[in-house]
Amino acid sequence: MGRFAVRRIAQGLIVIFGVTVVVFVVTRLVGDPVDVLLPLEATEQQRREFEHRLGFDRPIPVQFVDYVEDLTRFDFGESFWQHRPVMEIVLEHLPRTFTLVIPAMLLMVVLAVPLGVLAALRPGGLLDRATVVLSLIGLSIPQFWLALLFILVLAVELRILPPLGGGSPAHMIMPVLSLALPAVGRLAMIVRSSMIDELNQQYVKMALAKGMPYARVVGVHALRNASIPALTLSGWEFIRALAGYSVIVEYVFQWPGVGFLAMQSIERQDLFLLQGIVFVVAVMVVIVNIIVDILYKAVDPRVKLA
Amino acid sequence: MTRLVRLVAPLAVLALVGAACDTGGGTAGGGGGGGPTEITIAIGSEPTTLDPQLRDDGGERAVNDNIYETLLVRTPDGELQPGLAADFPEQVDETTWRFTLREGVTFHDGEPFNADAVVHSVERIIDPAFESEQAGSFFGTITGAEAVDELTVDITTSGPDPVLPSRMYWMKMVPPEASQEADFAENPVGTGPYRFVEWVRGDHVTLEANPDYWDGPPAIDRVTFRFVAEPGTRLAGLLSGELDLITNLLPEDVETVEGAGKQAVAVQGLEHPVIILNTEEGVTADPRVREALNLAVDKEALANDLYGGNATVDPCQILSPSWTGFNEDLQPYPYDPDRARALLQEANAEGATVELIGTRGRWLKDGELLEAVAGYWNEVGIDAKLRIFEFDEYLNRLFGEVRPDAVFVVSSNELLDASRNLGAYYHMDGIGASNEDRELAGILDRALTETDPEQREALYAEATQIACDGAYFVFLLNINDTYGMSERLSWQPRVDAKLLVKEMSVTA
Repeated sequence: MGRFAVRRIAQGLIVIFGVTVVVFVVTRLVGDPVDVLLPLEATEQQRREFEHRLGFDRPIPVQFVDYVEDLTRFDFGESFWQHRPVMEIVLEHLPRTFTLVIPAMLLMVVLAVPLGVLAALRPGGLLDRATVVLSLIGLSIPQFWLALLFILVLAVELRILPPLGGGSPAHMIMPVLSLALPAVGRLAMIVRSSMIDELNQQYVKMALAKGMPYARVVGVHALRNASIPALTLSGWEFIRALAGYSVIVEYVFQWPGVGFLAMQSIERQDLFLLQGIVFVVAVMVVIVNIIVDILYKAVDPRVKLA
Repeated sequence: MTRLVRLVAPLAVLALVGAACDTGGGTAGGGGGGGPTEITIAIGSEPTTLDPQLRDDGGERAVNDNIYETLLVRTPDGELQPGLAADFPEQVDETTWRFTLREGVTFHDGEPFNADAVVHSVERIIDPAFESEQAGSFFGTITGAEAVDELTVDITTSGPDPVLPSRMYWMKMVPPEASQEADFAENPVGTGPYRFVEWVRGDHVTLEANPDYWDGPPAIDRVTFRFVAEPGTRLAGLLSGELDLITNLLPEDVETVEGAGKQAVAVQGLEHPVIILNTEEGVTADPRVREALNLAVDKEALANDLYGGNATVDPCQILSPSWTGFNEDLQPYPYDPDRARALLQEANAEGATVELIGTRGRWLKDGELLEAVAGYWNEVGIDAKLRIFEFDEYLNRLFGEVRPDAVFVVSSNELLDASRNLGAYYHMDGIGASNEDRELAGILDRALTETDPEQREALYAEATQIACDGAYFVFLLNINDTYGMSERLSWQPRVDAKLLVKEMSVTA
């Protein structure tokens, strides 16, 4: 276990470093932040002064060495849009993203697992067919469309929920649902198919023949074995929600989390802030992966952590 | 199973709390009935700071325009008026302007507003160590300020500066004591009609009426600014009743807003889309070709169809009528494709290639506008090569040494004074100029230091006449600023796009 943790953390660090290098290169290749940040009517002299203040007049390799040095101290510099330390801004936004992603993922598990299991009990039955159809619809719907539809129906037409912003739990409902529902579709399908596989295994018939209660066979033995693929997918969904879908959903609902922040930092060419966001999200992705690996072991002791 | 319960319980609690909060928290509900009036305004971005002198930031400005005040102000039509100054400034000599201040004005924390406060405000913003983003672009000519007596102050400039009064419409006055506190950027203290209540980062800023405001307390008691970048979400917020005022309403949404019983209001805005022509090289070096490029474009149709009537045709200049330097005598080039064809034939330029550089998604309908212009040019026999670049690459070309045949830009002007955008695009040394006209540059240089307002207007009239006659640009439109408002809000939008809550009121 100890060696496993060390190895995974070392691997994770390499991944994080690789991601930050790529971000550094890409953001500097793409364009000149000086032109974007200053008003169009700014004079040449104002441009040069601004460039100098941000250090963009130095050669790229020098900038890179500085960047890596600062990185080792978790110093991402100051956002030139917000004029505050990048880490302070990112860490202020990160919890808000988690307040969407964690409930959404819990909701996903709470809805998808029972749905998948019940569907698997009678493949081809009414509940099964309904689950399959609903899941297909759920996983085919793009998040941004679902989000806009929610706003249109629940906020504009029915006026039962506030359309935008954060602040109260009522503001969470639509973004959480937008994140959760497509994931529910995907997870329910996986749970269903792996449960069907498990229920056809010999040990299930054996346990039932020995007189073990049906609910125990399904709910404990079969579900436990079927949960490995579900766990893989859940981890994957968590990562996608955190590092991808949150950008779309937060932007549509103007939820002030990391995804929304990422959009704004791109719009404003705030390179330092963008680097900080990518770094923190990469760290989160690595952590989630490690947690999922450990959970594998907890669910199935036969899994070797190496 | 207990584990499951532990997971589900917090969610259920959240949902219940959510439902409870929802019934209690309607923001745009408190209209009449004698209670306090509250409104909610959506602005496009969150302020980066609430220090009014530090950044050049639209979000900050929208909020602080209500907390802070300036020596001179503008009417909704753009006319300069005394604000914290009791009258217009007097010129003591070429480089000194004397302001007499309004009596009995205090900051929200009780500090008096007097000559010392003005001196402090001026010295603070021009101090290089303060690194104000506004200093260079707005106050570059100001060298200092000196108190003459309690209510009289002299402001000095490096040379004669006719724009100084306009500059003082931009400089917000800060309290000498409170502005030295470390948390001043989070706790703004001004003289204005509204005082600061709270700033919840990522969510909103709230202000309340200042009961001791020198011009009498404003009609609306409380205002919340929310930060909504996405136009669709802003619209949803307005339609659902959550928001009372949204900015930058899209032309295509005007009908939706009016259909839902809300209001859409517009005013001639600050933005002028224009195409800069290369007067020195290539086919556009021939003035007949440049004239033809102007005649070929049906500006009326663009204003009416593309912008749904929310734009006016620019009269052969990139200035709005409310700005200093606007030339009333200029007329737009008419839409005359036959004359355009004839001119091209005369210039032996039929089928000539004109490269048109632009970008998409930066300004309202920029890409569509460019496509339409290229289409009009093609119709009169020009081979228009429209090249749309990503914004950075576009800027490289707009500001580059190598001048393209034709490059699109949207010129804006926050000081409402011609010096700013003519300096950038008309003056041969300007950052986006494509001409080498020394005479024009000389006139613009003289206008920069001419302190007699009439002489100065005459110089700008001359400059705009030259650029119009020579067709240095393809003049297009002036885009309206369009706002969406709730049914209860009453407000006349301003030409300078400021959101002054004291000018708003709410009907029961």
